[in-house]
Amino acid sequence: MILETSNLTKMYGSKTGCSDICLAIDKGQIFGFLGPNGAGKSTLVKMLVGLLFPTSGTAFVLGRPLGDLEARRKTGFLPENFRYQEWLTGEELLSFHASLYKLTGEEKRRRIPVVLEQVGLGGKGKQKIGSYSKGMQQRVGLACALLPDPDLVFLDEPTSALDPLGRREVREIMMELRSRGKTVFLNSHLLSEVEMICDQVAIINQGRIMAAGAMDELLVETVEVEMQVEGLTPPLVNELAALSRSCHVNDSLVRLTLDAREQIPSLAVAVVRSGAHLFSLQTRHNSLEELFVNLIQGGGEGYAGSGPADC
Amino acid sequence: MPAVALLTVKEVIRRRILLVTLVLAVVFLGLYATGVYYGYRDMAAHAGPLQGLMAAQFLALGLYFGSFIIAFLAVMAAVGAISGEIENGTIFAIVPRPVRRSEIVLGKFLGYGLVLSAFAVLFYIAVLVIIRINTGMSVPIRPGALGLFCLQPLVLLAVTLLGTTFLSTLANGVASFMLYSVGFVGGMLEQIGHLAGSQVLVKIGIFSSLVMPIDAIYRKIVYNLLSASGISYSAYMLGPFGAGSEPSVWMLVYTGMYLLFFLAMAVRVFSRRDI
Repeated sequence: MILETSNLTKMYGSKTGCSDICLAIDKGQIFGFLGPNGAGKSTLVKMLVGLLFPTSGTAFVLGRPLGDLEARRKTGFLPENFRYQEWLTGEELLSFHASLYKLTGEEKRRRIPVVLEQVGLGGKGKQKIGSYSKGMQQRVGLACALLPDPDLVFLDEPTSALDPLGRREVREIMMELRSRGKTVFLNSHLLSEVEMICDQVAIINQGRIMAAGAMDELLVETVEVEMQVEGLTPPLVNELAALSRSCHVNDSLVRLTLDAREQIPSLAVAVVRSGAHLFSLQTRHNSLEELFVNLIQGGGEGYAGSGPADC
Repeated sequence: MPAVALLTVKEVIRRRILLVTLVLAVVFLGLYATGVYYGYRDMAAHAGPLQGLMAAQFLALGLYFGSFIIAFLAVMAAVGAISGEIENGTIFAIVPRPVRRSEIVLGKFLGYGLVLSAFAVLFYIAVLVIIRINTGMSVPIRPGALGLFCLQPLVLLAVTLLGTTFLSTLANGVASFMLYSVGFVGGMLEQIGHLAGSQVLVKIGIFSSLVMPIDAIYRKIVYNLLSASGISYSAYMLGPFGAGSEPSVWMLVYTGMYLLFFLAMAVRVFSRRDI
């Protein structure tokens, strides 16, 4: 495991930052960490990179305990509220961070142009950071995080200041890292972005992990069905409700949540057998967004699956 | 640590803190030199033998306000060294790198300390040269006294660095200046106490020197310089800018420990702080 936490908890006085976080993340993947604002996403990342000290629990990054300097040499981090010394040029900033990473002079000279090119700032390294746009500052921050060619990169909302093209570029960088066996820990509330690239996700709300697992496992966990039925009767509605996890009726429109795809034909059978007319039956693609909204609004548990969140 | 120290020096230069300070120091020294020149010349007409005392008075004055300016620079430069970086977010990218937090604090101390010491050396030499040119009073540049002159801002720097690890920038500025004022006013009261024979004032002065020993260092420098061979004027005669009694070597030991204590506390507090 490249990252492992066990009951990691951070309290701010009596307020919970995050509570009993158990994660186990394998190398070579993009891990998406999702949650609404204030859910505790940044708190967890800040603990993992050494900005915050956990109240209790343990964590291992690259097989070493939190705060270990050797592990940090191979860990990159792009903070959410990034800000860099405006009076430095991009290259000087990178050179400073390279010194913090204890890169040798030769490594510095080799890596700085590489990462600048990688984040799309090739040729802009001589400009002062004060003259950079917000998006360029985020890019240079990403370049700092990539300097030591890290095995594990924590990116906290890495595309918040970027336009759609910039976002796409950053996604490509993340995928390129994965293809080289690196691990990316992506904090984000951009669900579509996470859905596009992440292998595993965990969803956090009010400091607790609500669901975690491989993306495809989480998304097939429930099936949404929408039916158009004329002649609905109370017994039929009861029968449908019994067959499904949840059932909402609005005139002739019936929305159902099923546990498995195999249950779909039984719905049609029930409708036809009751003498009602079935005009349409559609399964809806269960998007990450729906899962997310259900979890956050419904406060639902029980999604915590076989994924990376076993303690 | 060297990387942080280097960046700190770069910051002082790039953000024009050094430039502004140098320009204002030149203005101050210009004013001071003019004052010494005319003061000393006009004094000659009626002061007679007291003229020599005037030279010593001017020397003490120059060193006193020099200490003052450098102390301000120390506080202003370092007041937000950590708190400011937490407030604006630059530190978020630095702490997670493979550096110990102690290296960040000590690197900053080293960086600011180098700049302050260089500035203090220049200022000290400038004052001595101005006095020599205008009054003919030759005070040798002694490494001991020069070292003490550089030590003054370092003490205040350590105090300010501790403050910046747990106070907001503004609160730290207020606290550091207040503490500096305690030493400064206490030192004045002590000298007045010596002149007036008031033991209470002397005791207040000693107490304040323990709270903030910067003023005691200044008194030590003045005493050393003015009791140097060839200068027969008693530091006693310099009023509030003089030194009624020489602070003992133990006071220097105390000052050194004071500095180390504040620096160690700064490291300790920052090393345990959530950011």
